[in-house]
Amino acid sequence: MSSPAGVIHDIGYQRYEGERLGRGDVFLALYTQSLRSVFGLGRNFKAKIFPWLVVSVVAIVGIVIMAIRAQTGEVVISYSMLPQVLGTLMVLFVAIAAPELVSRDLHSGVLPLYFSRPLRPADYALAKLAALVSAIVMVWGGGQVLVFIGAAFSVKGFTNVMNELGDAGLGVIYTALYAIVYGSIAVLVASLLKRRAVAAAAVVGTFLITAPIVGVFYILPSETAHQLAQLFNPASLVGGVGDWLFEPTSSSEELGIGPFGPLYAAVTLGLIALCVTLLIARYRKVSQS
Amino acid sequence: MSTVAWITTRGLLGRRRFLLLLPLPILMIGVALIPRFEGVSPQQWAQPVLVAMGFITLLPIVSLIVGTGVLGAEIDDGTITHILSKPLARWKIVVPKLLVAIGVTAASAAVPFYIVGVLASGPRLGVGLIVGSTVGAVLYSTIFVALSLISRRPVLLGLVYVIIWEGLLSNLVSGTRVLSVQQYALTIADKASASDLLSGNVSFPVAVVMSIVVTVGFLALAIRKLSSFSVTGETS
Repeated sequence: MSSPAGVIHDIGYQRYEGERLGRGDVFLALYTQSLRSVFGLGRNFKAKIFPWLVVSVVAIVGIVIMAIRAQTGEVVISYSMLPQVLGTLMVLFVAIAAPELVSRDLHSGVLPLYFSRPLRPADYALAKLAALVSAIVMVWGGGQVLVFIGAAFSVKGFTNVMNELGDAGLGVIYTALYAIVYGSIAVLVASLLKRRAVAAAAVVGTFLITAPIVGVFYILPSETAHQLAQLFNPASLVGGVGDWLFEPTSSSEELGIGPFGPLYAAVTLGLIALCVTLLIARYRKVSQS
Repeated sequence: MSTVAWITTRGLLGRRRFLLLLPLPILMIGVALIPRFEGVSPQQWAQPVLVAMGFITLLPIVSLIVGTGVLGAEIDDGTITHILSKPLARWKIVVPKLLVAIGVTAASAAVPFYIVGVLASGPRLGVGLIVGSTVGAVLYSTIFVALSLISRRPVLLGLVYVIIWEGLLSNLVSGTRVLSVQQYALTIADKASASDLLSGNVSFPVAVVMSIVVTVGFLALAIRKLSSFSVTGETS
């Protein structure tokens, strides 16, 4: 230790005598605050318009599916199809929410304040990611729960309700997979860019530009190329995992994934691990500069 | 080159931010190389690469980043007041900024479009695509520059417009094609290249007239909005 260069004078502020909360509590506080800000809670009206518009679109779709099912008994969109059907909306949602969560802090340079607390860089990154993932699960999973409520009242017999509950539960877990893949990509891209506007465009660009690659692979002559095509886009990648999990019969179809189901699952897990690792590495670097 | 244009160019390309414009064109060329060397006929792969990747994604996204960057960035952090307080007519601020946006967008779109066009059929298609993508760059840039003056959150509106209107509706609903920048650019590229690989969905005169109407309309709107621009505090 070198000799002190200055003195901190006691100018008479009241001391804090209470208990100092630790890392876990900081994490929880940051998570809660982030989750609230995704929906614009605690912020002005303008910040609420977009997230609640998305919530209402998902809710309306859920209610329409519910109504059709109650009236005609026909399952228009199954639980596991719902996140896929509303996938474009999910891209828009993460593109707006992720920069809101991470780019603002980078832009206004408040990160040193966070890291002067017991919070570690990885904690910050994971709290933000967890908030976005939970928000997606709440909105899209909420839509699935709406459909389930309608179905539970229209099917007869306790076992049927239990079957329905099982399907809905799997559907929500599948939504969570979507949420983790979309969320980790979006937060990673957004954490690299300070300006919210640019970050939002970059997130959408990432999702949109990879879609035609799938189309290009479909026109290659080889059968294997068709079955591997869906690996190249986040949306179709998770869709492929869904095909493997929920519709093993469709594997013989033209757009199927063939025998590569486990590969799709492995690539999905690898993608998530890669994004999270890069995200944590990014904040390690930010915290040192 | 006016000082406004010079400052804008430096603001756009001066820092590392311009690296953001590189991945999309590189990816487009890379994807075109795969079927090219697999020996698939261009009839099959030109459509997904040129239309889905080029006209639906690359052109609007690059225009959005650049177009909202030339004015929107300054409005965002409040430094727009420095330019507004100079004795300059407002149109002399909007027009150079718009020209810079168009130039940067057109340049970063023209290169991949030309290379992919040459790979698919030959220089004629490449030149046609440059014409088409430049028309697209003019239209999109004008719209997004105007948008960044109309709204405080231009990127949100721009993304909704690009994804929902240009991406989904103009491909599914035939009625909205008459009001779609992507279809104008495609039709003009088709006409300029005289290639059977592209097919425009609107007639050529409609595309030309609507392009002029949209450009002039949004330019006038942008100038009018900046003329009556009021500096407000940070909102959200």
